[in-house]
Amino acid sequence: MKIFWRILDVLVGGIFIYAGALKALDPVQFANMIDNYKTLPWFVGVRLAFYLPWLEIVCGLTVIFQFLYRGGLSILTALIAVFIGATVAAEMRGLDITCGCFGHASQHWSFPQHMVFDLAILIALVLLWSRPKLLHQRQAIHLHNDKKD
Amino acid sequence: MKFRAVREGLLLIALAALPAIGEGLYLRDKVSWQSSIPPSELVTVDQAKAWGDGTIWVDARSDEEFANDHVPGAFSLNEDHWNELLLQFLPNWSPDKKVVVYCSAESCNAARDVAKRLGDEARLKDIFILQGGWEEWVKKNRREVE
Amino acid sequence: MKTRILILTLSILLCAAARAELKWEQTTIDLRPSVGDKTAVAHFKYENVGKTPVHFKSVRASCGCTTTQTQKEVVNPGEKGEVTATFNIGDRTGIQMKTVTVQTDDPVPAQATTMLTLRAAIPQALEINPTFVYWTSGERPKPKKISVKASKDFPATSLTIKSNSQNFESKVESGRTGEWTIEVTPKDTSHPTGTALLLQTDYPKEAPRSFYVNVQVTNPPGAPPALRPPMPSGAPATKTATPPASDAQQ
Repeated sequence: MKIFWRILDVLVGGIFIYAGALKALDPVQFANMIDNYKTLPWFVGVRLAFYLPWLEIVCGLTVIFQFLYRGGLSILTALIAVFIGATVAAEMRGLDITCGCFGHASQHWSFPQHMVFDLAILIALVLLWSRPKLLHQRQAIHLHNDKKD
Repeated sequence: MKFRAVREGLLLIALAALPAIGEGLYLRDKVSWQSSIPPSELVTVDQAKAWGDGTIWVDARSDEEFANDHVPGAFSLNEDHWNELLLQFLPNWSPDKKVVVYCSAESCNAARDVAKRLGDEARLKDIFILQGGWEEWVKKNRREVE
Repeated sequence: MKTRILILTLSILLCAAARAELKWEQTTIDLRPSVGDKTAVAHFKYENVGKTPVHFKSVRASCGCTTTQTQKEVVNPGEKGEVTATFNIGDRTGIQMKTVTVQTDDPVPAQATTMLTLRAAIPQALEINPTFVYWTSGERPKPKKISVKASKDFPATSLTIKSNSQNFESKVESGRTGEWTIEVTPKDTSHPTGTALLLQTDYPKEAPRSFYVNVQVTNPPGAPPALRPPMPSGAPATKTATPPASDAQQ
């Protein structure tokens, strides 16, 4: 059973590392995609374009290698919520642009395809949140240690 | 337990900033940080004039503003009548020319939008934006008649 | 101590907010014009929730393509109204963002200036890539390809090319529904010539739309710029700089 959770960790972490790496390779292209939404000024968007991919990579790593796990999981959950929001917003505004969330790979995805993928990741993250014993045990041990200081 | 997630999260947010800043510094000359046009695409009035016949001037302002006054020899190309005006502009272009687009001042977006469309749709190369726009050109070429 | 400062700050903010006179229902409006619409209109509704009348000092759009209209110059307490911003779409594509800056005589400087934003997602009918292909003078007359894709808002099923020029050969190949590839070949590239190819679709049935693609054999390098001044609209452009007449047409 433990192997199931580990596989999920690696899958989810891996997807975010892959997505982050694709964007980190061409931050200017990502900045242009953010700019396409015309929601953020370029000044903000370009800096976000440099930062977000690394956040994805770092958090993906924490999930795979299980350090700072809860923090990483929280941020990734927040990120997938943002991606879902961006995809829905684009669809509602009738924009024919791609989310850019998963780089070139997702460029030709339709709205339903995007949503299915995003929701699958969200479900995986929710599952990881409700991961039994192992994490809670670790928490209990750490809390116990904290109290000792 | 929730606080642990927050603490870890904040640490990760700070941690991720390191490679991000590193990449930003590494690419700092290749990125336009203030506006969506890379600075290398801006040319001054003097530079554009130095190119002489190698320059094709493109006026991105409205029809009325163009009719009122424009750089001699400039072609009107705006988004109100893009298709029609592009049709008239292209026969005058050749790959050796440098296209200099201007709108009323540096702050207006029309020149950037026109330059982007010329690059994206018509796939032209060597497209530049006039620094300071029409305002700057007038300052350097015309004495204001009081 | 901290709570007192907090309460004080909050009450100051609330007072300032209460004094605000013109309240806007939305300061950003997203529009979704349909394919073929010439304008997109945003209605920015406001209400005077203050105790004194508000005068509009100026209402300015960020570009000439957007015209604005305030229904009245003065808004009395309790009155409602709207600023209508009409955006002329022209030949624009993609998401266009235009702003309207409203200045009132509100005594609080921060409240006196309001920026209203209009975002229009202009649906693209056909995605034509690229819209211009050219050969340089003397270049080998190889065929060049243009890809055409109909968007989901524009369900065209057929595409035909009309050209009045004898100098360019063109053929259309259809791929999946709504996707075509056009292949253009010049007969020869010895002298500058150009034309616009008309792409005729079958949508909408009542008035099928057509689009243009520009093809050109360009001037040789070093050719003098066109002597003919450009015309803002109407008559086709003809090149007078080089001997053979061009095929440029509407």
